Amino acid sequence: MKSRTVTLLLMLPALLLLAAVFLYPMLRYGWLSLQASSVLTGLVPVPNGGANWGRLLDDARFWTDAGQTLRFALCSVILELLGGLALALLLHRPLRGRGALRALTLLPWALPTTVMALGWRWILNDPHGPLNAAIHSLGGSSYGFLSTPATTWFFVVLADVWKTMPFVALLLLAGLQTIPADLEEALRLEGASRFQILRRLTLPLLVPYLTLALLFRLAQALGVFDLIQVLTGGGPAGSTESLALYAYLNAMRFLDFGYASTVMLATFLLLLVSLGGGWLLLRRHGLERTTERAA
Amino acid sequence: MRLLVLLWSLGPLLWQLRTSLLRPEALVAPLLEGNPWTLANYQLVLSGDPPFWRYLANSTLVGLATTLLTLLLAVPCAYGLHKERGPLRWGVGLALVAAAMFPTVLLFLALLEIARSFGLANNLLTLSLPYTALSLPLAVLLLRAAFADLPGELEDAARLEGLGLGQRLRFVLLPLLGPALASTAVLVFLASWNEYAIALTWISRSDLLTLPIAIARIGGGSVFTIPYGAFAAATVLGSLPLLLLVLLAQRSIVSGLTRGAVKG
Amino acid sequence: MSSRSGAGLELRQLGREVGGRCLLDRLDLQVAPGECVALLGPSGCGKSTTLRLVAGLDPASGGQVLLDGVDLSGRSPGERQVAMVFQSYALYPHLSVEGNLDLGLKVRGMARRERQRRIDATLELLQLGELRQRRPAQLSGGQRQRVALARALLRQPRIVLLDEPMSNLDAQLREDLRPELRRLLCGREQPVIYVTHDQQEAVGMADRIALLDAGRLQQVGSPRELYTNPANRFVAAFLGRPAINLLTIEPGRQLGLRPEHLRLGDDGALAARLLRREWWGHQQLLWFDSQWGTLRVLTAPEAPMPQEPRLGWQRQHELWFDTESGARLAA
Repeated sequence: MKSRTVTLLLMLPALLLLAAVFLYPMLRYGWLSLQASSVLTGLVPVPNGGANWGRLLDDARFWTDAGQTLRFALCSVILELLGGLALALLLHRPLRGRGALRALTLLPWALPTTVMALGWRWILNDPHGPLNAAIHSLGGSSYGFLSTPATTWFFVVLADVWKTMPFVALLLLAGLQTIPADLEEALRLEGASRFQILRRLTLPLLVPYLTLALLFRLAQALGVFDLIQVLTGGGPAGSTESLALYAYLNAMRFLDFGYASTVMLATFLLLLVSLGGGWLLLRRHGLERTTERAA
Repeated sequence: MRLLVLLWSLGPLLWQLRTSLLRPEALVAPLLEGNPWTLANYQLVLSGDPPFWRYLANSTLVGLATTLLTLLLAVPCAYGLHKERGPLRWGVGLALVAAAMFPTVLLFLALLEIARSFGLANNLLTLSLPYTALSLPLAVLLLRAAFADLPGELEDAARLEGLGLGQRLRFVLLPLLGPALASTAVLVFLASWNEYAIALTWISRSDLLTLPIAIARIGGGSVFTIPYGAFAAATVLGSLPLLLLVLLAQRSIVSGLTRGAVKG
Repeated sequence: MSSRSGAGLELRQLGREVGGRCLLDRLDLQVAPGECVALLGPSGCGKSTTLRLVAGLDPASGGQVLLDGVDLSGRSPGERQVAMVFQSYALYPHLSVEGNLDLGLKVRGMARRERQRRIDATLELLQLGELRQRRPAQLSGGQRQRVALARALLRQPRIVLLDEPMSNLDAQLREDLRPELRRLLCGREQPVIYVTHDQQEAVGMADRIALLDAGRLQQVGSPRELYTNPANRFVAAFLGRPAINLLTIEPGRQLGLRPEHLRLGDDGALAARLLRREWWGHQQLLWFDSQWGTLRVLTAPEAPMPQEPRLGWQRQHELWFDTESGARLAA
């Protein structure tokens, strides 16, 4: 009994801080989303019924952004998982200088997002960036990569993949290291090809790690903010604006705290739904896998 | 294969390095006569107002304070969670995983309100409070896994010898946790060094900016007016400490994330 | 050894339950000063649980632990003056041999000089002087075990507990170490409890053996008592290698006959057919098939094999058990 009290006391300070930083904001948004709190009210919260939520339902910009965010998240997470898996398989093999290789491939993940976002902006600069310089030297004319929605979107995804792929690779590498080498040897003795080993042994055993990486990355990608704010500012013409950026703009540019809270809370709910859906999908798929293997 | 991977990972960074060493005219018109190489960009950045090293110092200060505070809170919490056998073990564990996944930008508005009402804005040390909270979930999960990895009989032996909880932590458990503490510290430091949304809203005084905000500000103008040479020099300077950290701590970053993934 | 006199260690109705599962069921056991009692049984029988309750590492869900008549129940492990040698030895990997010994004394605030004197004496006793600066990882299994012993003895404990202290050592070393362990631990004033799953080790180390199964004490007594007069079928079957023959020759009752009590000849009560021989050098083990099933018989290595072998035994060696409950029945 006494030691139980001690363990609780040991956890308490950390849990209190976590509650203040994670739980309180959610509750606060819940309350603020039912208030008018903008320049019009002098930023003093005044209850306005469910007006914010009603506005959200009719807000085309919100729903466009939601679609854009979802599309961005799905595309970049899938690419990150594929690329991360390939990178992890490469880093898992006994290569010369593997430690240095791991460190160097990890570097994009370790650098601040804003730094590399500006880096990409320079690379894509019209007309002086290296990409356009290359096009020039090949005889083409320069292209505004960041002024056309399609290319902008492509490069936003690319920049995100470039930055977070190493992280996914590292998670999967951790999973690869838990697979006993003799399992693979046993399969090889039975004459399995490398592809068969990957498909029949490595991937099924990696499923928990893939799931973890997927859920974690999906949550982060659905809340994408700094990359987009610095790289495109949401443009051109709002075509890359994410929900988090919209919420930020509502709060800091339009100074509408009530509506910003509503957008944030809605983003959070959307995130929960997507994650829950993704998880259920994976679980069903995982169950099928297990039964397939048992049969 | 290896070369391709390295080119993919390092190419954009190496291009920054090249850009930072070129004269501004050479950036715009590559065929200019004469020697295009210069250190002027670095001089410009370092002699700015405030000078660039100021941002490095700010980020370092926040990073160190955050790391210290996180470990201070995470170690007892991880130990308590490791010992807890009741329903809280499951509940707190799940809450930590959820918090670790949470996109932190969604927190900024409420945190900004807190900062304003308690006068916490524009202060590097108070900035480390939310940073600590953001880092805590991962740190606690990593350290709990590390505690679970220690043989239970070691602590039993220490209890039999009459060591109290504090003594057991100080003389037996923490010394054995060294590698896990190191890798946790590195990850926390990295996260705090790179954080953007909260620093953006909490800090407005230009001499207190952290590195990511300062760099974003350099590039804050329109695409055409960004002083790319100076910006690239800032990027290189801002990346160097991280490059060193990652190279030195590669092993413990990998092992830390590995452990977290296996146990989490 | 009367329970009233109170000298030594006494466990009274000691029990532990975790989540509705009973790990130890009201154990009564006394260990006299200087006596070594082996707790023997298969894994999961409750022997390590008992040890941890005595040490105070886990809370008991009922009963008492008394030392010289004083109830230890409310005391923390550190206050019980218990020394324990763990199966893994639990040496602090980051400290040298000397540091391992020193830590416990240091936190109790003992003066440096006194600590040094005690450590030196103990290292001397266990012939570890040469290794004092080594880390545990640089020691062999036997050396680690000696360091663990040294750490246990150093504190001048009032109770000594050993949890499978030799199971990580190879067979030869185990046999060699037994006399040394007895010399160091037993016959002093402290009661000693020695947990093992190896009956040879129990017989070799202990004055008495307490045999546990499924959290219950089955029987306690000298090795000879347990062997010749087992309280039930479990005790009879657990002790003795090769194991006792259990034959169901009539409904409701089982006859137990030890392999060495069966005589091979041409005039025994039971006709048998030889299945297999195992030649052990000093003895041979014969496997027979009979109308009651397979039987193990120990004989001299050169014993002649009759044309038509029959097996006989003396009435006094018969052990009868209830088929259902395994309880011992009168002959």
